[in-house]
Amino acid sequence: MTQKKHYSVIVIGGGHAGCEAALASARLGADTLLVTMNITTIALMPCNPSIGGPGKGHLVREIGALGGEMAKCIDETCVQMKWLNTSKGPAVRSRRAQADKYLYRQRMINTLFEQENLDVRQGQVTDILVSNNNIEGIKLETGIEFLCERLIITSGTYLNARIILGRESWDGAPQNQKAAIGLSASLEANGIKMRRLQTATPPRVLKSSVDLSILRELPGDIDAGGFTWEDRLRRYEKQISCFLTFTDERSIEAVKRHMSESPLVLANITNEGPKHCPSIDRKLLKFPDMVRHQIFIEPEGWKSQELYLQGLTTGMPPVAQEDIVSSVVGLEKAVILRYGYAIEYDALAPGQFHKTMESRVIKGLYTAGQINGTSGYEEAASQGLIAGINAILSLKGKEPYWPSRTRSYIGVLVDDLSTWSRNEPYRITPGHAEFRLTLRDDSAERRLIEDGYRIGLVSKERYNRVFAWKKRIEEEIESMDNLSLLPSNEAREIMMRTGTGDLKKPASGSELLQRPGMTYKSVIELLHKPIESCLTASDEIYALETDIKYRGYADRENDRIKQTAFLENIRLPFEINDDRIKIIRNESFEIMKTDRYDDLSQMVRMNHFTKSELAVLLSILSGDEPEEFDESEINSK
Amino acid sequence: MSKIKIDTIAALSTPAGRAAISMIRVSGPDTFDILHKVFKTGGKRPFPLHYSAYFGSIVEPETGFVADQVIVNTYLAPKSYTGENLAEISTHGNPVIVSKVLSILFKNGARQAEKGEFTRRAFLNGKMDLIEVEALSQLLYASTNTQARLALNQLDGLPSKFIAKVREELLNQLVQLEASLNFPEDSIESIDESALKNSLQKILSELCVFYENAKNGSLISEGLKIAIVGKPNAGKSSLMNYLLGRDRAIVTDIPGTTRDTLEESLIIDSMPLRLIDTAGIRKAENTIEAIGIERTEKAIDNAFAVLGVFDGSRPSDKEDLAVLEKLKCLDKPVLVIKNKSDLPQQLENDFLSGFNVISVSALKGEGMAKLINSLTDIVKSQGIENLEEMVLLGASQINALDKALTALKRAESGIGNIYQDMLSIDLEEAVRELGRVNGETVDVNTLDMIFERFCIGK
Repeated sequence: MTQKKHYSVIVIGGGHAGCEAALASARLGADTLLVTMNITTIALMPCNPSIGGPGKGHLVREIGALGGEMAKCIDETCVQMKWLNTSKGPAVRSRRAQADKYLYRQRMINTLFEQENLDVRQGQVTDILVSNNNIEGIKLETGIEFLCERLIITSGTYLNARIILGRESWDGAPQNQKAAIGLSASLEANGIKMRRLQTATPPRVLKSSVDLSILRELPGDIDAGGFTWEDRLRRYEKQISCFLTFTDERSIEAVKRHMSESPLVLANITNEGPKHCPSIDRKLLKFPDMVRHQIFIEPEGWKSQELYLQGLTTGMPPVAQEDIVSSVVGLEKAVILRYGYAIEYDALAPGQFHKTMESRVIKGLYTAGQINGTSGYEEAASQGLIAGINAILSLKGKEPYWPSRTRSYIGVLVDDLSTWSRNEPYRITPGHAEFRLTLRDDSAERRLIEDGYRIGLVSKERYNRVFAWKKRIEEEIESMDNLSLLPSNEAREIMMRTGTGDLKKPASGSELLQRPGMTYKSVIELLHKPIESCLTASDEIYALETDIKYRGYADRENDRIKQTAFLENIRLPFEINDDRIKIIRNESFEIMKTDRYDDLSQMVRMNHFTKSELAVLLSILSGDEPEEFDESEINSK
Repeated sequence: MSKIKIDTIAALSTPAGRAAISMIRVSGPDTFDILHKVFKTGGKRPFPLHYSAYFGSIVEPETGFVADQVIVNTYLAPKSYTGENLAEISTHGNPVIVSKVLSILFKNGARQAEKGEFTRRAFLNGKMDLIEVEALSQLLYASTNTQARLALNQLDGLPSKFIAKVREELLNQLVQLEASLNFPEDSIESIDESALKNSLQKILSELCVFYENAKNGSLISEGLKIAIVGKPNAGKSSLMNYLLGRDRAIVTDIPGTTRDTLEESLIIDSMPLRLIDTAGIRKAENTIEAIGIERTEKAIDNAFAVLGVFDGSRPSDKEDLAVLEKLKCLDKPVLVIKNKSDLPQQLENDFLSGFNVISVSALKGEGMAKLINSLTDIVKSQGIENLEEMVLLGASQINALDKALTALKRAESGIGNIYQDMLSIDLEEAVRELGRVNGETVDVNTLDMIFERFCIGK
């Protein structure tokens, strides 16, 4: 017991963030230890049995492109795959998978155990060891200590966790597990500030007690493809369905009857819960006139006898849950197997980590997942991946990986998170991404495969395959730009007949494709392009058509991207010696000299500059005369 | 979060030099701490009360030296011009006194205000928006009553309110759209595209009117441009000189003397005009003239109205014809002037037919009253005397308005043809650009608005 075991990287926690962090670290060659309180519940999905959706699905695609595990794991273990928002446009189109929770966990646990350089141990970490503001190791409740160079904490909802069910509450974590006691106090003792957040989950009911035959069935899409590039054209022939039902007056009546037992009314819980996923009692308090709320009934696995009641999240007591559930059409006789509950846990207070996931307080410490104030498996996995990558890059003395919000949803996520100061967990949606035409679901590899390869999580073979695919699409786009159709009688006749308009002068393939109703297929026919030189795969054709058809919008988005990327590249702290800087208010000027933010784009987003100030700042930084800057706006007196 | 304090500024706010009274403004959080040190006032009233006047002396604390007897007007934050604690010190209008009072203020914690800093603080503290700042600037620099009245109209905030209202309406539409885009179809209802189209059409038509009013507004604040064209030596320069009442343009008998465009301001009936004397339309014999002629074309393009000048004392030639042809194809007000009525008339009678011709002698002043009346009529007939509806915007604001309109038109015509995620890009751009018109700097968080309005379950 005298010799303490030493690892390059230790990961605390085996949830979705911890798994990605540990795998990334081990795959990049560092000897890594993952410590979890319970090996059985590694990669647990304690809430909804699904992965993906608008924004979230984008994250999973990007995790796959960068060489992370979640995308592969869900592709292998889903019971349903569905396309969402196809009619609303390419920028918000995304996939959502229903998971087999049990298979997902099993596959992830196997992956961890098969991974070279990676040890997995069960135990509860109670202390971090810090010396001179540098992380040195961890101490377990057994008294065992491990030393490390880098520590990644992914504690989920476990830190000082408290389960709340009506008036009752007790120390505990999801699935009747133990709360993690001690680690929060140790973090605080080392200068890190904590806060309380809460979330909740709905009841699970016995499948055979639900009358699914009278409910609307929601099947998946056979041709939705998977999240990983390799699975992009995969057909999921065998799937199982979800079902849809609605609350009505009876349900609202039942909620009202028990409202006095709601933790929200009892105020025995912090109010800082997820706005995007309100409990049924919160919905009623906030939208009292609304009677019809959707309830999705989701399977938890191929063979699972449990059904998840999406939409009935609550921390109200069991008797209330019985009343509410049985008031819903199809659930009249439903047997509740596990009650819903609310959970309150410790997370970091805002502003304490960089968008690389490294702590601003302790060197060598990284955090990812719910401890950083997010909600969702996909958000957690993304941060775990970035934390793992950056822990290794810094170990090797390399520049950190700064994901840019102009290039990925992961970039949007970590950028938003590092400045997130709201009293609620953060969830990604397309609304957070201002460049979402560029950050399309289908373009994940085109944007990120080089990053993945450069970092080392994408093999040479995989990179070559994806690169060839990318090149094929891009060269065909170029050829669409260069090929042109002359207004021959034949061409004009075809175009008029197919209702795509007359052709008065020569037009390029791209110009033709931009006409309403035109497809790649119809354009190559008009151009008589030899079929062997054309794209045939549906995903490649989709990428080409979307790129060309929306080029005008993408170009305008690009102009804004340039400005944001320029500002992102100016890392803080930053000193300027230029007289014109006086135009900027002192307080903003002083913030630029501190490391409160990672870069200038964050200051702009946090409204530290007026438009005029920004115009002047940009002109100083780019060495130009002020552009679009009207002096009368500020010097009018 | 920041511990950096905003400092306190002071400056002379009335023109420098000798006057009956000079006024020094002090603004910032320490305003009254400083005044407590340097301003001695009698009476029982506590100092400072909001919106009060105090009589007293400015005294140098170290020496007890009395710089002047003054009246101090006090305004407490946020109810002041700058939104900060503010005092206006009225001193006797002697530069020596003013500079002594200022130096006492500086020694006790105030700093010299930079140019425009009071207004900048007002803007930053949300006391004024950009339209009002622009109007204030125009008011201070107005050279005619008309311009001043127009600027005053802006200061009551009506144009700002209009833009804010339109932006709000657009934001509502954007939030509906974004809610649908941010969540899957199974968790939120799809939007009603025809209702969206109707709403955008209504907004567009209102905004177009506003845009016209803004363009008219900038006509007034810059002065209405009137281009004077005619062949060389038709007497354009003499006409301009007469209107201006002095010799500005070089007048000689040699054709082509005016090689460049000359611009002069003139006020007729309280309406600011800018007369632009052009080099004439003729075949250039050298490069300098060619440049001049190019400028003439440009001046005509940019002008609000054009005065065509012809020499009545000579028969028409092909240069006159070129000018006439040019005038015929203009879609702006044109006044045709037959000059040199003091000389024997040789211009063919029917040459100028089709135009309402005013016969004048710029040299002798004959017919000039009629010309001025006709000019006034043109200004009025174009509906730009209705100052109440006019809007004053700076160039960057008009530019933003223009961009907003373009984006909105694209969105409106795109409904039904393009995907909703593209529509939202256009709507978002319109909202953003409208924000630039009245300087709303706070970016709107549509996500928050979605969660306020929609019960999202998935």
